[in-house]
Amino acid sequence: MKNPPVTNSNSRISIIAIVGIMGISLFLLLYFIFENNLGVSLFDSVITSLLFAIISNSLWYPTNYISLHDHSLLNVVINNLLIAVIATSIWLFVSYFIVTTTFEEYENFFLYTSIWRFTIGLLLFIIAIILNYVIIYYNNFTEKVISESNFNSLIAEAELKSLKYQINPHFLFNALNSISSLTISDPEKAQEMSINLSDFLRKTLAVNDIKMVLLKDEIESINLYLKIEKVRFEKRLQINLDIPEECEGILIPNMILQPLVENAIKHGVYESSENVDINISCEIKENFVEITISNTFDPSSVSNLGEGIGLSNINSRLKLIYKRTNLVSITKSDNIFKVLLLIPKEDLSKEDF
Amino acid sequence: MTDNKLKAIIIDDEKLARDLIRNYLKQFDTIEIIDECENGFEGIKSINKNNPDLVFLDIQMPKLNGFEMLELIEENNNIIFTTAYDQYALKAFDVNAIDYLLKPFSKERFNEAVNKVIGKINNTNDPLTKNSFPELLSTDEKLKRIVVKKNNKIVIISVDKIKYLKAEDDYVDIVTPDGSFLKQNRMKYYEEHLPDPFIRIHRSYIANLNEIKEISLLEKDNHIIILKSGEKLPVSKSGYRKLKEVIK
Repeated sequence: MKNPPVTNSNSRISIIAIVGIMGISLFLLLYFIFENNLGVSLFDSVITSLLFAIISNSLWYPTNYISLHDHSLLNVVINNLLIAVIATSIWLFVSYFIVTTTFEEYENFFLYTSIWRFTIGLLLFIIAIILNYVIIYYNNFTEKVISESNFNSLIAEAELKSLKYQINPHFLFNALNSISSLTISDPEKAQEMSINLSDFLRKTLAVNDIKMVLLKDEIESINLYLKIEKVRFEKRLQINLDIPEECEGILIPNMILQPLVENAIKHGVYESSENVDINISCEIKENFVEITISNTFDPSSVSNLGEGIGLSNINSRLKLIYKRTNLVSITKSDNIFKVLLLIPKEDLSKEDF
Repeated sequence: MTDNKLKAIIIDDEKLARDLIRNYLKQFDTIEIIDECENGFEGIKSINKNNPDLVFLDIQMPKLNGFEMLELIEENNNIIFTTAYDQYALKAFDVNAIDYLLKPFSKERFNEAVNKVIGKINNTNDPLTKNSFPELLSTDEKLKRIVVKKNNKIVIISVDKIKYLKAEDDYVDIVTPDGSFLKQNRMKYYEEHLPDPFIRIHRSYIANLNEIKEISLLEKDNHIIILKSGEKLPVSKSGYRKLKEVIK
């Protein structure tokens, strides 16, 4: 069960205000309309309203106990009416006792107004009980909303995790085979390649902890990757990077370009016996930063490789991160496959994702 | 006498991979490398021309992969696969490969494979058994393309271009808009390895669902399929049940 509203500082202020208004109205009534003397009017109104505050607050517990969930409506109404009658009786009796023992001459007036006090008191207690139910309902509702939004952000996070870049094991084994070959024919180059491979691995293994990176850094790890593939495929792979200086400082989701470069190599170099050009360029536009990755391919080859997964993966990641669609577009002409990524500018400065 | 040497061909699209095999082979005086090829097309030409005793074959290569290449070769050569992909090992066994080397491989492992070939040629070695690669897994990969030979030309057919397949004795006739192609294989194989839109509608027919225009009732319990291109194919009772299941 939750703590009663009085323990919450906001609710406490509203309770004090309500009881204050009640006390002041009662005082004005007693003093000006019924023309009692100042002291007794003050004492009666303070005691009456204070007692009301205490008793109505303690009704929080039975209200929670008789919840709307586990009981029928009729049951709830009858029980609460009974509680309201008992509360009103206790409140009236205790205030009568305190006030009349202090001011004995006031007893007649108090008895004379007791029906009137009882009716209004009962009404106010019923309102207090209804208010308790409203508060409980509201608390449950906000709790549900919070847990739901927590749940949703958990799902989004899990989804992002599942879309994370994963190193292709075949790339790794083939690169290691090249190194193995180079150790015999060109040990110096073997050393250089194993260092490039280690640097690339170090960068990709750290990706799970980093969400956004500078384009400059992403290009750096792509360069390591391309250097390794260049050793494997030699002149079959031609690379052209066009990243102007003003693009280097923009933030992009980590490892968002790497799968696209791997796709370009997979569908370009793996499938063609001719030389393949891969171009990567960047341009800053009004609302977006445009990053283009294109590759030439052999239009006569019938692909034997799976496709589409990498691209739809990138699309989903960008959608989750930037909360908008259409950030990835693909164009395919005679022998050029081009992927255009739009990175929204307003989010570029946010490091917190 | 070079005539007594075993002839070897290396087929791999990466030069460094070929270099490594060339280096490992240096210690075998009895083996001579007579050719190196960068892709499957070159490989077919070279094998047909040289009829080698031993072929080192990569699987993933541009245009024509190692398995497709083997399908197009008449002779039964001694094949040692060299690849970074472990999922093709059982398929390698199906095509009677001598061994399956996973890149990167050690000199010892390489020697073992080459010695198997030498042993087989000297008739002292047992045939390869499945237990030879216990560490490897099988795969039920679906076909994406089929390679065939027609009039001495190699044709690569993308499976989504296929309209239907028809059994013809020991062959399967693969019918596409660009003509039909005979391939030596069993219907059962294509029934199991073609992707979803293909259904075995009859003992002698497999149809591409995307090519079907309508299914019509000929007489009681006897249906036929009419393709978009006009051909009519018979449907057996069990074929009709399968069709109904997919189409509803």
